[in-house]
Amino acid sequence: MSAKLLYIEDEQEIGEWVSAFLKEKGYEVDWLKHGDQAIQTAEASQLAILDVMLPGLDGFTVGQRLKKAYPELPILMLSARTSIDDKLQGLEFADDYLTKPFHPEELAARIEVLLRRSCTAAQEVLSIKHLSVYEQENRIVNHETEEEIMLTGKQFQIFKYLLQHQGRVMTKEQIYESVWGETYLDGDKTLMVHIRYLREKIERDPASPEIIETVRGLGYRVKA
Amino acid sequence: MKRNVANRRFRNSLTSKYLLIIGIAMLFMPIIFPMASILYWFINDGIWQPSPSLNDKYPNGTVLEQMWHQEAKSLASAPPEQVDKRLQALKQEYPEMAMFWVDDTDQTRLMLPEQGKLPKKWTPAASIQFMKAAYNSDPFTVVAYIGDDEKLGKGFMVMELPRAYIRPKQILASDTTVYTVFVFIMSGLFILISWLFFARIRKRLIRLKEAMISPDLDSGIPRSVMMTKPDEIGQLEQGYNDMVAQLEQGRRRQLEEEELRKSLIANLSHDLRTPLTVIRGHLHAFDAESLSQQGKDSVARIETKITDLSELIDNLLSYSLLTSGRVELKREACDVLRLVKESAAAWYPIWEKEGIEADIDLQNEPLIWQIDALWFRRVLDNLFQNVVRHARSGCYIGIHTETREHDHEVCLLITDRGPGLSRASSSKGTGIGLAVVEMLTKEMGLNCTIVSSESGTAVKLTRSS
Repeated sequence: MSAKLLYIEDEQEIGEWVSAFLKEKGYEVDWLKHGDQAIQTAEASQLAILDVMLPGLDGFTVGQRLKKAYPELPILMLSARTSIDDKLQGLEFADDYLTKPFHPEELAARIEVLLRRSCTAAQEVLSIKHLSVYEQENRIVNHETEEEIMLTGKQFQIFKYLLQHQGRVMTKEQIYESVWGETYLDGDKTLMVHIRYLREKIERDPASPEIIETVRGLGYRVKA
Repeated sequence: MKRNVANRRFRNSLTSKYLLIIGIAMLFMPIIFPMASILYWFINDGIWQPSPSLNDKYPNGTVLEQMWHQEAKSLASAPPEQVDKRLQALKQEYPEMAMFWVDDTDQTRLMLPEQGKLPKKWTPAASIQFMKAAYNSDPFTVVAYIGDDEKLGKGFMVMELPRAYIRPKQILASDTTVYTVFVFIMSGLFILISWLFFARIRKRLIRLKEAMISPDLDSGIPRSVMMTKPDEIGQLEQGYNDMVAQLEQGRRRQLEEEELRKSLIANLSHDLRTPLTVIRGHLHAFDAESLSQQGKDSVARIETKITDLSELIDNLLSYSLLTSGRVELKREACDVLRLVKESAAAWYPIWEKEGIEADIDLQNEPLIWQIDALWFRRVLDNLFQNVVRHARSGCYIGIHTETREHDHEVCLLITDRGPGLSRASSSKGTGIGLAVVEMLTKEMGLNCTIVSSESGTAVKLTRSS
């Protein structure tokens, strides 16, 4: 199944080669030169790639409108604006942000991650090592033993948070504040205890974890 | 017209009010004391006399007594009929008086008006009793021998007047008490007026000062004040408001300029990056071709240069933005370690890919510095970028906190085991990236010391004391 991508880029040359490259990668590409038709075109798309500097409506506005109309649609901002506040502004609604000049393979990799993430939501099952995760049903099954793994609410939330940011290192503060919704002051111990119990349940060997990796001094990561 | 304006301005000015008060103080002596005298007379004459019209007729007892003796003397050789006639005339003149006379045979003659209680015949005992009763009592009584001489033996004449008609000899208060009280009150009034005058000036000045030292939270510019009165302080307030307006205008212009510069630089960045993206796209086309080893190396070299150039553009634009002095750093209390961890977490996959081992050991307690979070991230990005670019060979990045011995100040240490900056900078131009770091840390009140040797580089960030 080839995914359909919405690509908005006003620059002729870049638009041409990116479309060509993505088609080469097996995607269907709808390339628009401005954001006016974005909402209509996005209906059939599985992912939107937006340039920031567009004639007329800028990429941020288009992106926000798209997100409002289709909250499930992943948005990747592709911009030549590199200042950090641009990046942060973009990430308020976009799922990823890539700056020009980007490496085409990196773009392909990010599209793949975004699509996989949104597809699991649709398919409702994510496979990772020996686990099948049914995110919607809050259910995890060890598909080697066909046993269901029972997690507490907090354990599942932590796992889900790491899965959502698969491949990225999440700091302890980020995890704690997202799951507990409180400021991380001395949440350190609490989080460690929860991670330990979580590992005991999901890892084959909790002493050398394969799924949730500890990044010393920083936090945790579920590798992509 | 001009004169009118000047006149009005003078009338409204504090100077005129001050002069008025001083004038009153100067006039104190010549006006207050006569006023005190007038008040004194007013109290004695006006309030304590029931019928002011009679005052002139009956000034006091002494005058009446003299008058009566005078009349008696003038009747020395008069026959009784003439005495009657004179008394009747006197009664016409002084209707408030009662009078009678007694002849040489001690018979009571004419009584004006008729008085029943008087004896018809005056024995010595009756005379003594009458004199005793009349002495120092009301009515005021005067007895005079006719001809004003007892030896003539022509009898005597008596007048009686209720004392209420005679001006009292006792006054309400003595002169000095009235003077003292009046002068005291007037002095008090004067002090009160001048104090009020000063207190109001002071209050208005303090209000102006308060407005000056309590700036608006958003803009940092003091708020304008309400005009009170069109005097000197009012003019000061007006001037102050004008100044605030100018400040606001200046600030607005500065913000506009900052915005303009930012968008200019963002556009410039866009314009520089677009061709780079196109180059990279075309370069990618080579991947499909079968290239010689040398060709593949060249493509890889060009790829790296594109990345370098893009970072250079970033730093160059940041640098020009910062040196323009038009960028405002929003310094807030931030947990530095949190920013370090988040930034390091984002860099971690890149370090991993490059084979750089990350050794991260930060204290558990938050480290709060007054910094601009965005720009601090930029500092970290530049430092981490430098490690990846120039110290990859060391395969190591250390991120630590360290507590200084002498003042317990915590510093942030970023170390690598690369070949050192002196070599790297000369060949690859890290200059601008570090210049941005130095400028930003200085702006945020941080100290950045870089120690570099052949065996590695250590960057130490502390709060400047």
